[in-house]
Amino acid sequence: MNYFCKSLWAIFAKDIVTEFRSKQVLPTMIVLGMLIAWVLRIVSEAASLSTTVIGPAVLWIAFLFSGLLAQERSFAVEEQEDCIAGLLLAPVDPGTIYIAKLFTNIIMLCVFELVVVPVIFLTFQLSVADKWFEFITVLLLGNIGISCVGTLFSAMVQLSRIRGSLLSVLVLVILMPMMIPATFALLLLFGAIPGELAGSGTLALVGNFKTAIGYMVAFDAVYTVTCWLLFGFVVQE
Amino acid sequence: MSKRAQSNCKDEPVIAITSVNKAFGSRLVLKNIDLHVDRAQGVCICGVNGAGKSTLLRIIAGLLRPSQGTVRLCGLDVNSEPEKAKAQLGVISHKSMLYPALRIFENLLFFAKLYDVKDSHDRVRELLEDLGLSSYRYDRTDVLSRGMLQRLAIARAIVHRPAVLLADEPFTGLDREASRHLISNFDKFRAGGGTLLMTTHDTRLALQCCNRVVVLDKNRFIFDAETSQIDTGRFAEDYLSYARGRN
Amino acid sequence: MRRILILLTLVLLLLAMWIALTAGQVAPIKRNIIYAHIPSAICALLCFVVLFVAGFGYLRTGKPGWDYVAAASAEVGLVFATVLNATGSIFSRAEWNIWWTPSPRLISSAVLWFLCVVYLILRASIQSYHRRARICAVFGIIAVIDVPLVIISARFIPDIHRANFSFDSVWQGTSLGLLVLANFFLAALLIWLKTDILQSKALLENELNY
Repeated sequence: MNYFCKSLWAIFAKDIVTEFRSKQVLPTMIVLGMLIAWVLRIVSEAASLSTTVIGPAVLWIAFLFSGLLAQERSFAVEEQEDCIAGLLLAPVDPGTIYIAKLFTNIIMLCVFELVVVPVIFLTFQLSVADKWFEFITVLLLGNIGISCVGTLFSAMVQLSRIRGSLLSVLVLVILMPMMIPATFALLLLFGAIPGELAGSGTLALVGNFKTAIGYMVAFDAVYTVTCWLLFGFVVQE
Repeated sequence: MSKRAQSNCKDEPVIAITSVNKAFGSRLVLKNIDLHVDRAQGVCICGVNGAGKSTLLRIIAGLLRPSQGTVRLCGLDVNSEPEKAKAQLGVISHKSMLYPALRIFENLLFFAKLYDVKDSHDRVRELLEDLGLSSYRYDRTDVLSRGMLQRLAIARAIVHRPAVLLADEPFTGLDREASRHLISNFDKFRAGGGTLLMTTHDTRLALQCCNRVVVLDKNRFIFDAETSQIDTGRFAEDYLSYARGRN
Repeated sequence: MRRILILLTLVLLLLAMWIALTAGQVAPIKRNIIYAHIPSAICALLCFVVLFVAGFGYLRTGKPGWDYVAAASAEVGLVFATVLNATGSIFSRAEWNIWWTPSPRLISSAVLWFLCVVYLILRASIQSYHRRARICAVFGIIAVIDVPLVIISARFIPDIHRANFSFDSVWQGTSLGLLVLANFFLAALLIWLKTDILQSKALLENELNY
């Protein structure tokens, strides 16, 4: 356990230092996020859409695509000088590598959101009133979901030399189910829909904030554990 | 490079490979490989491209699983006790396995932590001095020349005082001076009780730092001898003409 | 063995269709499409179960056979998912005058189709055999886990889909049941055949290469 924590910290610190020193990804992520927001703001004006309704969608689209940039980098660093072999030669469990990379990607997304969320809030005139804690919880759960799948697929794509464009397809198709409750939760927070709406019809779920959060927690838990278990198969031959 | 964790290696061979087979699909890459290497030996595996040298090394390092057979390092099975076996092993290849964005001492410190080296800071300082890299310690790794990088790669590989050093084509891309430096470092490593196993197709350089050569051809060993028992100059020539014939 | 299965599938399919088109006509004639729609939904899900088991089997044993089964089930799954979405779309147009709308079951069946397509794209983009098998097994498992997750999460969206179907005659139930069974056999047969094809192809390529 002690060794697990030590090696986890070592890899995590190494990744964070590398990322922040090379300063390649974060600026690109932020600019991409702002561009997505800006384009969609103009489009929403042209289509005369309510900003509180389109706001959540914009937030998630910006996070998804900028997250992809971070994830793509996270194993490109390892591939460059065959560093992944160096990691695998050490007596460290592949799962630990995965968790460390996951933390790095989550932190990257959080830093990115610190900049981009205020920008989106200003341009879309959004407000969550006094529900800041709930808002941050939703964002954090979303970050974990985006990163846990993205980190595994990034390892797949980079280490197997698949063309990089496939990463977005893989991530988006798997993340699709999480986007529904994630958007739903934000819509509730922004007051775009009444508290107990959603489901009408036979199959529909009781759509309130709690069920949406519950779903996201379950999604994150299922995929973090699955990806952690499967990561060894992706990196080892 | 003294106190080395070798308590396990007293009475057993440091590397014990028993009847290892490796097949990719229906293609047999290694067939019934047996190799035993004792402490402080230097063994060179020669062979033309595609003979299976790198595959064998990857199997010893635990990066590939053999289809059959076992690999033991200091009595520890690489596949059933990977954590313990990996601690006995250092690897260098023609790629440095170092992070370009980190400083030199940060790179070494990172790997020291990964291998759970107790006195990591002292160990890194000692290594940098040993390899003559002390003055570059705060430089970023990507400014180093190829020769310097290979020196640092050795430091990385032996930071945890391994019993075995595997070197996969270590001379690739090195000039004469850097190669000589590399050989002297290999000698130092062996003088401290370490075992060296390397692959190369440059037999002349290999013969300078090894005391045993084996030749791998078409997935099995066809030649195995101590360098003291053969005429090294003639061997190098013979090998060269053989390799030309094979290619 | 296989011949018996082929024969059985054919007989069942013809018999079920004959019953469906004679005794089991569903009242508004356009709704007869359920005889293709429902069995293909069930069979697409079945293919995903096979994909999961095969992926798991490959990662546990490393036997190439499992990989071929996984690839075959993804392809067959794609066929059934395509039929499912196509018939669903036609049905939806006839019933509600729209080709597609986000509604729980429509989303779920669309995701089934996407997952199969992405799986096959991933397969096609890796050259090395062992790496492909390993990576695809991992993705297959993750994709299958996605199916229940999407079925649950799509329920946050209002539903327009028909809840349950009441049959006018006992023949309709019978023929639908028979068709599900026949499609079941058909799916198994297709997976079996495709696995064999992939296996022989791999054998042939191996022999040619080395």
